[in-house]
Amino acid sequence: MGKPKAKVDKKKCLACGGCISVCPQDAMSMCGGRAFVNEEECTSCAICIRTCPVAAISGEVY
Amino acid sequence: MKYDVVVVGAGPAGSVTARFAAEAGAKVLVLERRQEIGVPVLCGEGVSRKIDDWKMLEGKRWVASSMDGARIYSPDGTMVKLAADMAGNETGYVIYRDIFDQELARQAAKAGAKIMMNTTAVEMLKDNDKIKGVKAKQFDEEFEVEADMVVGADGVESKIGQWGGIETKLKPKDLETCAQYTLTNVDCKDAYCDFYIGREIAPGGYVWVFPKGKDVANVGIGILASLSEAGLAKKLLDKFIANDPRLKNSEPLRFLAGAVPVANPVETVRNNLLLVGDAARHVDPITGGGITCCLEGGKIAGETIGMAVEKQQFDQETLSAYETGWREAFGKKLRRNYLVKETILDFDDKTFNMLADSLKDYKFEELSTLSLVKALVLKHPTLLMKLKPLVKISSEAQE
Repeated sequence: MGKPKAKVDKKKCLACGGCISVCPQDAMSMCGGRAFVNEEECTSCAICIRTCPVAAISGEVY
Repeated sequence: MKYDVVVVGAGPAGSVTARFAAEAGAKVLVLERRQEIGVPVLCGEGVSRKIDDWKMLEGKRWVASSMDGARIYSPDGTMVKLAADMAGNETGYVIYRDIFDQELARQAAKAGAKIMMNTTAVEMLKDNDKIKGVKAKQFDEEFEVEADMVVGADGVESKIGQWGGIETKLKPKDLETCAQYTLTNVDCKDAYCDFYIGREIAPGGYVWVFPKGKDVANVGIGILASLSEAGLAKKLLDKFIANDPRLKNSEPLRFLAGAVPVANPVETVRNNLLLVGDAARHVDPITGGGITCCLEGGKIAGETIGMAVEKQQFDQETLSAYETGWREAFGKKLRRNYLVKETILDFDDKTFNMLADSLKDYKFEELSTLSLVKALVLKHPTLLMKLKPLVKISSEAQE
């Protein structure tokens, strides 16, 4: 089983862009008005999860 | 169709840049990802009265209320009051950011800029290494926008800089992560912007209460991302609201999240490329305010583009007039305030309480560094050690 990767809850995300700006892998972008994780690039550092002001990002094993 | 310049993002910095470039004769296209400019609002909506000086906005429809001053509350509740002429630099108006942004976009359009909605820049267009526009996507259709220049006005999550070879990635200690309610049924009797600091209240940031007229107020929080946990900003904000007597009967009209760079500004110019606004990290690292930099920097950017179009030269050297211009206008202040931010981050609640206790009776109209330091240190001599780095920063800034 692989490490958990960041996953955005589209219903909770308010598109502030904070997670995208701090992602050290540049693995995130805005897509359809919500943050989006390219899981191929995600290294499970969890910085985005800790940064989210509304807890819209969690770790999930794909 | 080829443009002189394509501006990515129709926030304040993008629109002001587009306006002054178009006024100088440039053929300008603005790309906006959203379907309504200024919506959703991602902002505390407090701005400086300084924006009046530039006369960039018509009418007053974007003003929700004018402020008489600001109050800062230390962790133990000690209040320091700043009158309007002192506080006005940072808090003059509480605005409606959606109307504000649309007014700036209207001015850009009036000057001749084209605006394309629902359109996201997805890639930089390059000829070998030379930037020649962006690849854009509108709904399911991808197309190329050719231009001599690209302006990255794409906000805190900017990609344009990265695509053009400028490192804009933020460290968590250089980002404030924010949440805000617009509340009704609040009991804000006077026109003061209130700020609350303290480790328990807002680690590495502050809570704000900005009255918006009638019984409405913006109540928000920013905390440093390096001190954040998942959902902590919202959790602390809810706790603050539950414990504040003015807000106990309030009901929400709006909830939003935000992210504010509190970093050193980056280099903003490359061949055929400029960065403006949050994308350029043009935000005061102490207050998190960025609107004045957007307006002042956007104007310099637009005028620089006008000059470049006239000369038909879009190389880094020609465009460096913009970099020199904003560094002169507000770059020193941003760098200084970044150092101040770093210093006060180490202050504990006790230090903030001592600071507030020393300043609570201080008359800020007589503000001078010497009288301020005297007021601080006479009452709490141990503050001298804590403030030493700040005195050093302030004397270096004056050199």
